[in-house]
Amino acid sequence: MRPIRRLLIANRGEIAVRVVRACRDLGIASVAVYAPVDADAPHVRMADVALPLPGDAPADSYLNLPLLVELARRAGADAVHPGYGFLAENPAFAAACEAAGLVFVGPPSAVLARCGDKAAARDAARAVGVPVLAGTGPVTDDEAARAATTLGFPLLIKAVGGGGGKGIHPVAAPDALPAALRLARGEAQAAFGDPRVYLERWLPAPRHVEVQVLADAAGHVVHLGERACSVQRRHQKLIEEAPAPGVAPAVRAALGEAAVAVARALDYRGAGTMEFLLEGDRFYFIEVNARIQVEHPVTEAVTGCDLVAWQLRLAGGEPLDIRQADVTWQGAALECRISAEDPHAQFLPSLGVIDGLAEPAGPGIRVDSGLWVGQRVSRHYDPLLSKVVAWGPTREVALARMRRALREYYISGVDTTIPFHLWALDQPAFRAGAYDVRFAERWDGGGVPDDTAVLAAAAWFFHRLRTPRLPADGAGARWTAAARTEALR
Amino acid sequence: MIVAVTLAGRQHTVAVEEDADGMVVTWNGARRRVRLAPLVGSAWWRLDVDGQRCDVRLQPSDGGVRVTVGAARAEVLVRRALPVPSRQARDPAAARAVEVRAPMPGLVVATPLAVGQPVAAGQAVAIVEAMKMQMEVPAPASGRIAEVRVRPGQEVAGAQVLVVLHTGPAPGEGR
Repeated sequence: MRPIRRLLIANRGEIAVRVVRACRDLGIASVAVYAPVDADAPHVRMADVALPLPGDAPADSYLNLPLLVELARRAGADAVHPGYGFLAENPAFAAACEAAGLVFVGPPSAVLARCGDKAAARDAARAVGVPVLAGTGPVTDDEAARAATTLGFPLLIKAVGGGGGKGIHPVAAPDALPAALRLARGEAQAAFGDPRVYLERWLPAPRHVEVQVLADAAGHVVHLGERACSVQRRHQKLIEEAPAPGVAPAVRAALGEAAVAVARALDYRGAGTMEFLLEGDRFYFIEVNARIQVEHPVTEAVTGCDLVAWQLRLAGGEPLDIRQADVTWQGAALECRISAEDPHAQFLPSLGVIDGLAEPAGPGIRVDSGLWVGQRVSRHYDPLLSKVVAWGPTREVALARMRRALREYYISGVDTTIPFHLWALDQPAFRAGAYDVRFAERWDGGGVPDDTAVLAAAAWFFHRLRTPRLPADGAGARWTAAARTEALR
Repeated sequence: MIVAVTLAGRQHTVAVEEDADGMVVTWNGARRRVRLAPLVGSAWWRLDVDGQRCDVRLQPSDGGVRVTVGAARAEVLVRRALPVPSRQARDPAAARAVEVRAPMPGLVVATPLAVGQPVAAGQAVAIVEAMKMQMEVPAPASGRIAEVRVRPGQEVAGAQVLVVLHTGPAPGEGR
């Protein structure tokens, strides 16, 4: 294998920006691709070369497997970075890259297939003595109904090809199973092109903890510690942090060892994440995320390792020249995911055009953002807009910096998850680090604004009446024309 | 100008007068110097009350403005207080037709019920997909499907009417 010299980035948004930056640091030329709606996006502006894709729909753009391979060859790229989501964990994409003589930045297609089959990954973990949750393999609706009676309710339906929390549906009772299966299969088909699902035992209030690993081509594996990801809604992570608060040193060490054991059992390559559920001091392996993850910056902040640079170096054939004893952790880091969702309306996607933007900075703050003024937030893609990462020598300092940064973050044009984050940071359970996956259910809308809201509304009303404005909608032109006609009489 | 402001079900009467450098707002017997200036984009404003600055998100909504301060949000109704209260008695018969609207812009995946079919409150009348999430749109009340205004595969705007229900007795019944 040769070092990567020219890399096509088969993704968009903040992760595409992140990969361009890693390329710059390593002296690799970057090739961006973009759907029409993303023509003015930062990753397009920053990359050395940018190539257009024919349509906005994922099938035409960032899921357009044959075209992406073709563009990589035409651009003279020697490698492809898939980012996360889209084709990141698609073995067919990795295989197509390999067949075209391109280095796929991620595990080889055979390893991706092994990790992507969640049932097989679980079996591999069990075989090396890592505890797993009870569950099934891929099931038909009839088999699911039968298996459900032995597993018991509530249970979870998960997409075999799933990831990123998509295609997971909790089922409380037997009569809800058929409808939930229908939704889960529909979502799995739409998101992953694979309608297969399996069932898994449901824990009432576990904590979600995951371990970052790096593995080279010779099978040398180290872990970079854990991340706590229990602040979730609809199985979508909202806040992550490292180290995981309230985890005993012995449990932390055991988690790291278990993650390395699973990575070895799967013959894992590159950067990856082993996900676990933690109940008390007992943990259960649930799945592998065979990609760079959204929340990787918190691990970067506490270890000082550049994970995307490591991905590129390992994919280029470099050995992993760090031993487990070399990995050290300093301070604490938090990440808040800023998504175009309205936390005051059941977190429904909020679509619109970004008409104003100011992003935070300052000590301990890192913002990985794909936002730009004029951006049309499209229904075709994931609602994640950007991520705010705060590091501090202690968790308290990191929390204070995060609150400061969120209050400096102005996004106009769509609703975002920032109000939820401001609420979460002030909750005693979160501040104490004593929270589980049910935490976000306590979101109460952040209360009612006080007198400020009355004064703001009155001032806004008065201001609007005093400020003549042309209507911005289609009807406006007619009124304007009518007024001009009237004026000419 | 006298403005009627309704927040969380409580109506407040607020007097607003223009001032050299903003406005003077009189409310609950207190006179405050208030300035409101655009900060970032269309939604972010800087509110200054007697020298105390505060960032607020203001989004025009039906009959008023949506105010977000920090984590908290309120739908605030604002209107000019009229000397004589307006009579806006609603036609009670009109309440029998219930429009079910899309909760977000997206793609209609399915409309499981046809015109004339009975529907129970909470039952899905449409499935809408956006950003890879599929969502069932439940009937807000039980009744009968009067109109299905969208087809599977159709793009819909937020708040677009998907289905109309009749909550009253079925045609021909009770006559």
